[in-house]
Amino acid sequence: MTKPNTSKVRLAVVGCGAVAQIHHLPAIAASGRVEAAVLVDADEKRARALAERFGVPEVATDFTGLPGKVEAAVVALPNSLHAPVSIDLLRRGVHVLVEKPMAMNVRECDEMIDAARTGRAVLAVGLDFRFFDASLFVRNLLRDGLIGEIRGFDLRQGVIPRWPFATDFLLKKEMAGGGVLADFGVHVLDLLLWWLGDLTVTGYRDDAMGGVESDCEMTLATASGIRGEVEVSRTRTLRNTCVFEGTRAKLEVGVWDPDPEIRLSIAGSEVSLSGHARGDRGSALNFTDVFVRQIDDFARAIRLRREPFIPGAEGRRSLALIEACYAQRQLLELPWSVLPARERVS
Amino acid sequence: MSLAEIAGALAGRRVLVTGATGFIGGRLVERLIVEHGAEVRVLVRNLAAAARLARFPVTVLRGDITSSPDLAVAIQGCDAVFHCAYGTSGSQKHRAHINREGTRRVLEASRAAHVGRIVYLSTLMVYGQTTDGDLDETAPRRRFGNAYSDSKLEAEQIALTSGLPVAVLQPTAVYGPYGGVWTESVIRALKAGRQILVNGGEGLGNAVYVDDLVSAMLLAAVQDAAVGEAFLISGEEPVTWRELYGRFERMLGMERRTVDMTEAEALAFWRQWKRAQPHAVGEALRILKSEQPIRERIERTREGVWLREMASTVLPEKVQQRIKAGLGSGGRPSRTAAELPIHPLSPEMIGFFRPRTRVRIDKAKRLLGYRPAFDFETGMDLTEKWARWANLL
Repeated sequence: MTKPNTSKVRLAVVGCGAVAQIHHLPAIAASGRVEAAVLVDADEKRARALAERFGVPEVATDFTGLPGKVEAAVVALPNSLHAPVSIDLLRRGVHVLVEKPMAMNVRECDEMIDAARTGRAVLAVGLDFRFFDASLFVRNLLRDGLIGEIRGFDLRQGVIPRWPFATDFLLKKEMAGGGVLADFGVHVLDLLLWWLGDLTVTGYRDDAMGGVESDCEMTLATASGIRGEVEVSRTRTLRNTCVFEGTRAKLEVGVWDPDPEIRLSIAGSEVSLSGHARGDRGSALNFTDVFVRQIDDFARAIRLRREPFIPGAEGRRSLALIEACYAQRQLLELPWSVLPARERVS
Repeated sequence: MSLAEIAGALAGRRVLVTGATGFIGGRLVERLIVEHGAEVRVLVRNLAAAARLARFPVTVLRGDITSSPDLAVAIQGCDAVFHCAYGTSGSQKHRAHINREGTRRVLEASRAAHVGRIVYLSTLMVYGQTTDGDLDETAPRRRFGNAYSDSKLEAEQIALTSGLPVAVLQPTAVYGPYGGVWTESVIRALKAGRQILVNGGEGLGNAVYVDDLVSAMLLAAVQDAAVGEAFLISGEEPVTWRELYGRFERMLGMERRTVDMTEAEALAFWRQWKRAQPHAVGEALRILKSEQPIRERIERTREGVWLREMASTVLPEKVQQRIKAGLGSGGRPSRTAAELPIHPLSPEMIGFFRPRTRVRIDKAKRLLGYRPAFDFETGMDLTEKWARWANLL
């Protein structure tokens, strides 16, 4: 019997923008299961500065030399590069944890899943919200029918970003694949898919006028016909919760904070319960904890040769939903956008 | 020539908008693209603030208006420049520097690139404290006494004496969707406390809906008669401050969020408040300097909420910005109107709210063809729809 390989997974971080700096590199440094061996960025200066800060021995401006040097890579590039770079690495046997959204469209997702099969490599998707204790709690609570039969759901998620973007890719359709739906929306759609099962889009509106949307709203339905509304914004501060109306209780959970409040109101009762989900360690999660969970899960999948918590097939689901939204897009009409000259001309 | 008639004049023309991530610049970009078919470039410091602009086919250039190389790239090939950027963060000194030097460099770069028209967004505040009666562009320019107004005055002079084809617009209180000072800040102030109405709010508030101002800017970019001139831009008729704050109270569904005071009472209240403040200001600064976990813990307390509210309404701007940056947004405890704090007004602001000044827009009508399309009720109805959508009410 061979001894299990317990050594740290040597990995590269490909793309040294904001998410690598703020989340991935601190998580890698805090994890006992991985070590960063190479940082890759087209901007060598940026890669070098980060390598110094996080004690990474090597930098490169090109990812093509990674096979042989590392076992795995975190792909945190602009969205349009997720598929081409991941496919190349996966085919050559490098395990990949790719940032969300997994790719630009479902076709690319399928090619990535194929490439992982060809290269016998692990493909994990960075939909980190699923690692929140609250997300698992809600999933189990709904699965076990504790709020009764679900009558409907309503999710509002809106944050005015203060993200220190390294580049402007998220503002460009050809690089981001979409606007707020592809950026924030993918997280909440992934959670809903995990909590409720497959969803179909029955209506979708956004405010893009030749660029990428900053606000969108949609109506969704589950396979069993439960209907819900979702609104996502990067220009407004919204409620940032999802409400489930059940026959026995109403459940409200935060969908932005890694340690959100969960509120349970029993039907017909005047009092409600409000609190926080807790895992084994019993304390609140922050984003670094969440990213450590994610990278540890990725490392375990590699060492134990098992599926990661969020494999390519799961990442593909939210992309399929996003694609369906864009396919039936209508303009979100905002009354204050009415243009006076137009009115006068007409 | 009216707004409808200039519709083709900017089609396909390359223009640069500075301050495009802001309230007025943002709406200008929308209308330049959607209504006029212009090829719009924006110079942006903070990409995170550009989400709303990215809805449109706009060229986003990262840069700073005090950087001549950034400006040279941005302005190259532009037929017109709309200069809306002004200092919104950092010390008063820094903000004044952005207003003055930013304008100087925008003008220098425009000169080098042979830009055909520069529209500079100034302010009513360049007339200093105004008096009762009509005010038009022949009134003397005076320092108001704060860094914003005084540096805008200097910038306006720099623009008008540059010898370049500049048009200057001096808007009054601009309100509307995505508005800051005269929209969102008023809503937040009324939610958190009570507003003093000087002399019962009988002073005149000259206000303009954002789309009317943007229309004036578009006209100023096209009309030849605009060159070398400054124009006051306001709505057709002023409203009293009582009406203005009353409309926001109605929007919020809140009563008694204003307190009538005479000038003398408002001044006495200010002095009393000033005497009581050093402790609270010191406390707020101490929190800002503390470690992140401590700060987060304090934020969750009632006192933290109170400090944040105070920061959003009454502290000097510099401290406000630091507190805003340091403290997140969060829930507020509910209190009855009578328990809510009264926001003190500085002597300058008392002077601002007191007079019954009627801003005349005849020059803009005559030379630009400016016609306000939104009366106060119409403008505020749209503003309310937006505020509700933006989850502010």
